[in-house]
Amino acid sequence: MSETLLSRASGARPAVIEIPAAASCLAIDDLSLRYAGQSALEGLSLRIPRHAVTAFIGPSGCGKSTLLRALNRLHDLNDEVTQSGRVLLEGEDIHGPGVAVAQLRRRVGMVFQTPNPFPMSIYENVAFGLRLQAPLKKRRRDEIIEWALVSAALWDEVKDRLHDSAWTLSGGQQQRLVIARTLAVQPEVLLLDEPASALDPISSLKIEELIRNLKSRLSVILVTHNMQQAARVSDYTAFLEGGELVEYAATDDLFTNPRLARTEDYITGRMS
Amino acid sequence: MRRWRVASRAGLPRGEGPWPWLAAGSLALSLLMLAALLLLLAGRGLGHFWPAPVELVTLDDGRQLAGQRVREERRQTLQGSPLRERLYRTGNRDLEGDAWRWVPVASIATHEHPADWAVIERQRWGELIVRPLALEENGRRLTEAPLWESFTARLARVQALRVERDALRRQVIAPLARHLAAGHEDAEAQARLAEARARVGELQAAMARDALVVESAAGERLSVPLEEMVAAWRPNAMSPLQKLAAWGANLWHFLSEGPRAANTAGGVWPAIFGTVLMVLLMSVLVTPFGVLAAVYLHEVAPQGRLTGWVRIAVRNLAGVPSIVYGVFGLGVFVYGIGGRLDEWFFADSLPSPTFGTGGLLWASLTLALLTLPVVIVATEEGLARIPAQQREAALALGATRAEMLRRVVLPMALPAMLTGVILAIARAAGEVAPLMLVGVAKLAPQVPLDGDFPYLHLERKFMHLGYHVFDVGFHSGDVEAALPLVYATALLLVGVILVLNLTAILLRHHLRMRHARLRSR
Amino acid sequence: MDITSDTHSQHISRQFNQELEELKTHLMAMGGLVEQQIQEAVSALLEGDSRLAERVRDNDKAVNDMQLKIDDECTRVLARRQPAASDLRLVLAVIRATSDLERIGDEASKIARNALSLIEASQGAKGVVEVRHISEHVRKMLRDALTAFARFDIELALEVVHEDDSVDSEYASAMRSLMTFMMEDPRSISPILNVMWILRALERIGDHANNLAEYVVYLVKGLDIRHVDPEELDEAAIKR
Repeated sequence: MSETLLSRASGARPAVIEIPAAASCLAIDDLSLRYAGQSALEGLSLRIPRHAVTAFIGPSGCGKSTLLRALNRLHDLNDEVTQSGRVLLEGEDIHGPGVAVAQLRRRVGMVFQTPNPFPMSIYENVAFGLRLQAPLKKRRRDEIIEWALVSAALWDEVKDRLHDSAWTLSGGQQQRLVIARTLAVQPEVLLLDEPASALDPISSLKIEELIRNLKSRLSVILVTHNMQQAARVSDYTAFLEGGELVEYAATDDLFTNPRLARTEDYITGRMS
Repeated sequence: MRRWRVASRAGLPRGEGPWPWLAAGSLALSLLMLAALLLLLAGRGLGHFWPAPVELVTLDDGRQLAGQRVREERRQTLQGSPLRERLYRTGNRDLEGDAWRWVPVASIATHEHPADWAVIERQRWGELIVRPLALEENGRRLTEAPLWESFTARLARVQALRVERDALRRQVIAPLARHLAAGHEDAEAQARLAEARARVGELQAAMARDALVVESAAGERLSVPLEEMVAAWRPNAMSPLQKLAAWGANLWHFLSEGPRAANTAGGVWPAIFGTVLMVLLMSVLVTPFGVLAAVYLHEVAPQGRLTGWVRIAVRNLAGVPSIVYGVFGLGVFVYGIGGRLDEWFFADSLPSPTFGTGGLLWASLTLALLTLPVVIVATEEGLARIPAQQREAALALGATRAEMLRRVVLPMALPAMLTGVILAIARAAGEVAPLMLVGVAKLAPQVPLDGDFPYLHLERKFMHLGYHVFDVGFHSGDVEAALPLVYATALLLVGVILVLNLTAILLRHHLRMRHARLRSR
Repeated sequence: MDITSDTHSQHISRQFNQELEELKTHLMAMGGLVEQQIQEAVSALLEGDSRLAERVRDNDKAVNDMQLKIDDECTRVLARRQPAASDLRLVLAVIRATSDLERIGDEASKIARNALSLIEASQGAKGVVEVRHISEHVRKMLRDALTAFARFDIELALEVVHEDDSVDSEYASAMRSLMTFMMEDPRSISPILNVMWILRALERIGDHANNLAEYVVYLVKGLDIRHVDPEELDEAAIKR
């Protein structure tokens, strides 16, 4: 008799899976966030596994994007956001006194919903992050840019027109360019905020394929309102509702046999 | 019946009432008025340069006059009977006291177009409309034939000599004189100066060699030195092609030469130059200020009530009448700052002011102040249009706020800033009122940019096309002579503004195209 | 989480509700038909009614058609709705259940064919008592399994799972006694073989009913208890 069956049969799976600290890159510890006095996140605690794809799903306004943006301190820009709790990147508090926010954001890259290449050439887009750092020899920079574009599965499509405007690319290509741009600074964690929601299905599938391939290098956190996409791409899925973490489990478990009725209702599309 | 219905549906949107017609009508009316304005300016202004035929008119009392027909007017005599009078430009102001003659049409017995009558433009006293009789060389009558060809050849020689003389004065004598006036004891320079002056004397003498003997319609004869002539032509003997060439040449002289005869003749080059230079200087001054102010307002300042008030104030500044800015410029820039500058740096030339009077710098600064709100507002609009995602993307790549601004936001807002500059140019190039207080001059043949150190003379007064229109049109003694120039200058002002704006628009277009979404490959 | 029989009618999409509801209804209809087939096949044998046996044999095609129809509906739901969680489990359970019901239908027609041979040979067969007994047993199992499916009733399903063991032991003892008959009277070998085939078919029907019950547990609990010895099942945990 298999062990999983026993553990499942005994109902041992908790609503929030416990990722061992050693296998996790990010630890979110009792994170609460208020936006203009209104509560957006309430006491979230979870650990994000290293070299895996973790998806955040949930209805609109559940706080999944808010949570994502808290992970690279994009909320710093907004005076109306107050935050409590801790986020630890490899054991280090990202709000710690010794942490430079620009440095943190290089380690925790982010890709947004609509493709947003800068109005520059394809090459300059990918070089953008590199140029913010210590100057590199051109050869070395070219190597990194090629590597990033290859990693983003875009190199073959753009290698002959690197100096064309990035806005000549299609939407899907632009999004992969944005991913390449983020990869070029070699982050440890990649945050993807609904990266395929503005794209056609084929472009979406290419992005999904890319995400799956990326996890060998870094940890990916994906926010999506497309449950099928979360099911296809991710290894772990967290379901958020009303600013709370409802259920967090291996994707296989969450999508075949959710532990809680709220999760079940959401992923099967029921009224609750 | 059916056909009518179909046609009416296509042409006249049903059920929308008169609004589409009203709107389209307003647009058509505006366009029509604009076209009429340009046509009027072009017709009256450009026609002036066309070599009109010379009419030799014999009146019924036997007197003769020669002139170019200008226009006719219907008047009332003192007895109340109607009278048609025709205006002729007769020239010969020095001979007849006036260059214009009103002639009752009824009193004209005959008029003809003799081919040998010439119009001669002179340095002073305006045009001559005369019949050339003979050439004189050093006072000795020549019998060269044909007379006109020989005359034009000699006139060309005089003009070549004049060019050489002017070049010598400008390029050799003036610098040497300045050099020596600065207190240098330089024997070689003095020798060269003396040599150049001698050469100028020779040239003058050579120019004075020839004269043309002419006869006016009234039968008066005089000998006109070729030295005094600017140009000469025989309109009645010219083919249309030659007239066209003469028209082009006249236009070119108008554009490229300085004014003569109290601005009623000659060209407007200093005014064109002054206008363009002042506008460019204004753009250079206003752009950094406006952009920085907008960046501070939109990107740096906390968006509170105070910022809101500042923004409202800036927008309202755009509505302040321009003469108020002129007064401000006069009080603060000219008397305040300029006076202080004179005390500190140019005390040796006091009491004649250097910066303490109107000048190019103060005019540009005043107009920069006037157009600052436009640039601020346009830039702010541009900054507001940049998607938050672009900013966040830059931040997410590890850029600081300053890096984000410099590398992403400002380049993207560049077209909007240029829009602001375009609007500023459009406003500034047309302003005259404040300039009269802070630096424009009726006559300033020395343009503020030349070969003398420091090349750009910010303290100099300058000429401006707009003010030139005002001055020529309302302050010149010879209204009939000035009127065509007013039209031509106004047309030119429109053209200059158009060119300045087009340049900026093309620059903006270029910037936009560089990253246009649909670039043709 | 546990689901109940009305779980599948709360979707935001009413069309989806209806599609899932139809899947269940059609499965129950197929189950009813199959159950009737068994009952008629066994009565044909017990009452020597050859016409009834022939009808059962011919009705098998109707069962097969229903399987195709339900499978088709499942495929459509999978392709169009991409069901997740309990919806996905329902569709999977229905697909598996139709396959088992179709096999039961096959077994019923097998019983009918053997009954026909017996009737033609007009021999009062040994083992009829066992057939009657076991057939009633497996028919109850099938009925219970279908009821458990319709009501999402795990307890009933687990009962069926345990019942299968007793059917198996009844089958074994029946076989043993029939073997004894064959050894005593070699002339009876042929009819007894027919009876043994019938018993074998009934035993298979019991196994299939057992499968159906296991699908109910999968459907309701998300636990796959196939290939698990019933003795080892932690029923308390399942029911929790």
